[in-house]
Formats: sequence, C-alpha cells, structure tokens
Amino acid sequence: MHLTPEEQATGRRNFLRAVAGVPVLAGLGAASLARGPIAGGPVRVGYIGVGGEGRVLLGATDKAYAHVVAMADINPAQLAQADAVLEKGGHAKATHYAEWREMIQKEALEGVVIAAPLWMHTEITVGCLEAGLHVLCEKMMAWDVEGCERMRATARRTGKLLEIGYQRNYNTVYQAAHEGIVKAGVLGDVFMARLAWHRNGNWRRAGDPPAANYDPSKWGYPSWEHLLNWRLYKKYSRGLLAELASHQVNISNWFFGAEPEAVIGTGGIYRFKDGREVDDHVYATFEYPGGRSAVFSTIESNAFERNYEVFYGTKATLLMQGESEAYLFEEGAATPAAARPTGIDVQPKAAGPALSASESRVADAAGRPATGGAAGTNADRLAAYRAEVSGFCSAVRTGSPLLCGPDRAIGSAVACITAVEAVAGKTRLPIRLGAATQS
Amino acid sequence: MACRFEVLLSGEDQRHTAAAHEALAEADRLDAAWSIFQDDSAVAMLNRRAAEAPARVDAELFALLARAQELWRRTDGAFDVTTTPLSRCWGFVAREARVPDAAAIDAARAIVGLHRVTLDAAAGTVRFDAAGVEINLGAIGKGAAVDAIATRLARRGVRHALVSAAGSSVHAIGGRDGGFAIDVTSPLVDRPLARLRLRRGALGTSGIGVQALVRDGRRFGHVIDPRTGWPAGQDGLPQVVSATVVATDAATADALSTAMLIGGAALADRYCSTHPDTLVLLTTDDLRTVRFGASDAALVEDLCT
Repeated sequence: MHLTPEEQATGRRNFLRAVAGVPVLAGLGAASLARGPIAGGPVRVGYIGVGGEGRVLLGATDKAYAHVVAMADINPAQLAQADAVLEKGGHAKATHYAEWREMIQKEALEGVVIAAPLWMHTEITVGCLEAGLHVLCEKMMAWDVEGCERMRATARRTGKLLEIGYQRNYNTVYQAAHEGIVKAGVLGDVFMARLAWHRNGNWRRAGDPPAANYDPSKWGYPSWEHLLNWRLYKKYSRGLLAELASHQVNISNWFFGAEPEAVIGTGGIYRFKDGREVDDHVYATFEYPGGRSAVFSTIESNAFERNYEVFYGTKATLLMQGESEAYLFEEGAATPAAARPTGIDVQPKAAGPALSASESRVADAAGRPATGGAAGTNADRLAAYRAEVSGFCSAVRTGSPLLCGPDRAIGSAVACITAVEAVAGKTRLPIRLGAATQS
Repeated sequence: MACRFEVLLSGEDQRHTAAAHEALAEADRLDAAWSIFQDDSAVAMLNRRAAEAPARVDAELFALLARAQELWRRTDGAFDVTTTPLSRCWGFVAREARVPDAAAIDAARAIVGLHRVTLDAAAGTVRFDAAGVEINLGAIGKGAAVDAIATRLARRGVRHALVSAAGSSVHAIGGRDGGFAIDVTSPLVDRPLARLRLRRGALGTSGIGVQALVRDGRRFGHVIDPRTGWPAGQDGLPQVVSATVVATDAATADALSTAMLIGGAALADRYCSTHPDTLVLLTTDDLRTVRFGASDAALVEDLCT
C-alpha cells in the first residue's frame, strides 16, 4: 500500500502515540526471556532442515539460549552452508546428519527446530515429541488437518512443548499494535481486514544438486527438481496459502480474536504454466463471526503493493506493512493525510514534560515534546526470529508461556488448508474447526 | 478550531484509551457547530441572520456566547469575539498582512465590539445591532471544546488525563504526583519560558510569535486590540509576546490569555487582584517573564527570566 511521505509521517506518529507506554514494547522481547536461560544453561537443540528458512532461524539463534548440538538435512550442501551461519554466530561446530531419526537417537538433545518441507512436519514433529523432545516447528503447522490434529494430540499426550513458528507473533510491533490499539478499542468495530502479499517473480529456485549422482528418491522426491522446488508441487506443499497467507491469517485470527467460519476462494496457474502444480494467483475471503471478513490476495505478477495487513475500523485504520512498519489513521476524512488531527498519548512514567504549551500551532502539530518517543516502528525483522528461538528455549527451561502453541496454530492452518480446497473448486467452504478443536 | 486535539494518559491509565477516543468525538461535534469555515455551522448561520432579526441558537452555543460576553466585561473589552473585521482589515484573515489606512480601520471598528451583540437569555436569541458584525469563537471555542472533552472523560470514570488543543489550550483532569508537568514555550525563544505542574485546572497560552507583520522595524502581532483597532502592544510599553493563564476551565484560560496579550501587565494585575485562583504569566519582548496572581491548580516550578 502506498502512502505519501506526509501520510507515512502522520500514520507513524499516530501509531507511536497510541502505543506509547505499552509495556510489551520493552517487555516480552527482553525482560521475560532474560530469566530463561540463566538457570540450566543453553538448551541443547538440533536443527532439522537447514535450507533458506532453517538458516534464517539458525542465524537468529542466540548461543546464550541454545547450544546447537547437531543439524540434519538430506542435502549435504545445505549443511555446509549452515556451518558458515553457525560460525558467524560464534557457535561451536555441530554434528551433521542426513537422517533426522538418526540424529535424535544419537544426540542428547532437549529440543529440535524443524524447518523441513511442509509435508514432513507431522511425521518429524510427532517422531520428536514421542522421543521426548520439545519442538519448535516452522509454519504452517501441517499439510492437512489430520496432521495438525496428530501433532496437537501427541504434544498433549507426551507433555512436551510444541510451538509453531510464526515470527509475527514475536514481533514487538505486532504485539504493541494488538495491546495498545486492537485490544484498547482504538479501531472501533472492524468489519474488514485486507491481507495482501504481492510479488513479481516465479517462485522457482535454480540450483545444482550437491553431487552429480545425488538421488533424493529415498526421501520421497522423485527428482532433484521436486526437492529443490518442493513449494511448487502439491504432494509437499499447499502453495501460497500455506507459505504466505497462513502468516497473515494468523494475524487476522489474533486481532479479530476469532477464527474464520468459512472461506470463499478463487485463483489458478495464470502466469507460470511451467509444470508447477500450485497456483500463482490466489484470492480468498475468510469469513469471521460477527460479519467480519479478511480478504486475502497474493499474486506473482506485480509487486507494487508488497505485503501488508490492514484493519479497517469504524474509528480508525491500522496498517501493518512489510512486517516492520505500522501506521494508524483515524477516520473522519476522505484521505488518510486529511484525517482528523486528534490523538491519544500514553506517557510512560518519569518521562519529560507532558506537554509543551505555546501559542496555537498549525493543525497537525501537537504539543508533545519531541523527545520520549516509543520504540521505532521500523523494527528489525530478524529480532522477531531471535525472540522466537530464544522464547522457545526459555519456555523449555522455565515454562514461560509460548506464543503460538498447537491450539492457536491450528486455527490459521485449518483455515488455509480449507482455502486451498475452496480456491481449487472456486467455491465457498465452511471451515470445520469444531471437529479439529474437539479432538 | 482547525487544530489538533489530544488526550494524554499516563501509563497506568492505559485502559482508558477507548474512552479517550470516544471523548475526542466532541472535537468534531463542536467544530462542526462553531467553525466559521463551514457555511452550515451554527455560528456561520448566526452571522448570516442575526443582523436582520434575533436569531435562535442552541443552549450550548448561547452559554458560550454568554461566557464570552462576561469575559469581555471583566477584561474591559480586551477579549472580544467580534474582532474578525479588524483582523481582515489588517490582512490576518487572508494571511496577507498589511498596515491599513485609518479609514479602513475606522470602518472595521464600526462593526466590532460585543456591545453590538444582544443576548436574550429568556428567548435564547442573539441579535447584532449592525450588518457586518461577525462572531468568531477562535479565542475561546478551542478551550470550550477541551473542557467538553474533559467533562466526557470524567463522566467515563477517567480520573487523570491531560486534554489539549493545538498545544495552547489545556485541561488537566486530576494529575498524579503533583500534576502534569508543562513547559510553557514560545516560538521566539529557544528555552521554556516557565515550567509548571497543572492539577485539576486549565491553562491557556497565546502569543504573537507565529503570525506577525513587520513594517519599518515595528512588529505587528495578529492579535488586534478591539478598542483601538491596532495590534496589541503599540502603546510604547514592553510588548507582551506570550501570555499564559491558569484558570478553572480551559475556555476561560483560553480567552484570558488573548486578553492579557492585549491588556498587558496592567490588566493582569487588576484581573488577578479581583479574581482569586487565576495565575497569569507574561513574557515581554525583552524576554522577561513576570507572574501575577496564583492558582491552586498550578505549581510554578521554574520561571525562566
């Protein structure tokens, strides 16, 4: 979504004013975690899957929280790249495995971080939980509803932690927006949210196999192409709805405080007829209780809009853009820039003067001294990954609460899995979360 | 009232953000009623009709006009909501300031002055005694709106909040730890003129700093003395560049701060001696800040002289 520099300045200032003093901005990221790893030392973890996403998590792993003992990946080239990431982070070398089962049998681990292709999530998670390990599994939870339910049931039965990694949950900008704006009622009644993730690329990766005779078929991939581009094939992937929409539906579920009851979908492979099986254009409207809708679109043909979530309330509009920028616009004018210049400020204790009073200023200027702002909205996205891994380790050591356990994660997963079917049939389908939550 | 309204809550009162948003709706409602920039506002309609026949206005507007008239009397005419023709004559309305000729000033003065406005409380009507008389609530409406927002917040159970408009009209509901810390500043000076704590009271501040015309080395502020037709501070005494008033409500503080800019030290001294619980801070062009009177609502912590 494009804003003029003036709109950006106004929206950012409105956001900061509304969330100033929200303790979560300073709290969750550091204070609660600081308690965790001190007693008992770093958690002994193994990484399963160190492709692009796995290496981002590895790079965000703080050695004060996690001791990376071993890494498993069926592609030895990725293990070599992961070594470099570990070294950069000041970690000791980790033992390599091709088979995750062998790794968890041989190593004395306490937990695993799973970033394997979606279709393997259930098998690996259940296997690790059964082996007595705590699990941080990347999103989406699982390929199908049955898999989600098995993961949740196993976590309950074994009493081990299961966290699904949606980094937005750990992002302080989202936490502040939820606490200071959504929960505080600043938006009024919200009937519509818009979730957009627009790109202009073919999502296809290029790369050579680690060796000329490399054969991935024993792991279920008939060819190197299937392993390399697993996201494009239905057997392993749920396409853009799983890889992109689930992040954003996780946010609309959180901010709406509800889960969608039905989804209307359409889409198809419109641009890249290159043998892929998942759609390159997807449109889905998620219907929530109370007449609320979240309208999602993802396209692989234009990146003008980038990615954002917008909540349109009767009193104000909240725009979360690119996982790092947040803007708030109050209602009452035709354009955001002309929106009524009012504001609410929450001042932290022991801040400077509450107000600098002087003769009347122009419409937009407030009497707030320039100092004493809250944390910047241009949050470091990687900080959310760091908080995610450290939060998981902290929970293992201290029992501190997780942010996206199976009960929460299953909501966006089932919604997106149902959306895949709705898009395929270009139809409206009920989202049967009831069955899932009762199991 | 084309200005920004704000509610400041302290961290422990965060739960009142929704109430604050609701209360801020008062700003829109009153702006729609009192603005002279909207043709269909109650004040615009009053300005069009009241010279022909007594015009009925709603009770809220009538009360504010009655309050304006009372403050006009108490300030010997220094505060006056009918000075728009003079401001226009000096070019301050169109923001093209000029020194007008004497005839133009006289013509404007002939339609300025609250003595030309008759309020009939029994009938709830307002009558102008000449065509061309205009009411502009700019110097009191902002404060009145701030008071209205504060009243609504208090009704919602908010015990501590600072409501402000344009950074110049402020109303403190409660105020923890001795009150809300407020720096009084002026665009002409790069350090605060005063630092005070405001608790259960209101503050208004006016100045000549932003809008002014300079001709032949003389500075003409945008605040016109309705009694002379000339900008305030042309009497040879040190010119008041900033006036701050603490009173029980923001409408009064707002109006008085304008009056003090015109009436200067003489008015401040006289007003404070007859109206207890009013505090006035005047900064003159030699950048000295002088204090008059006292108020239970304000503790002056620092006076930068």
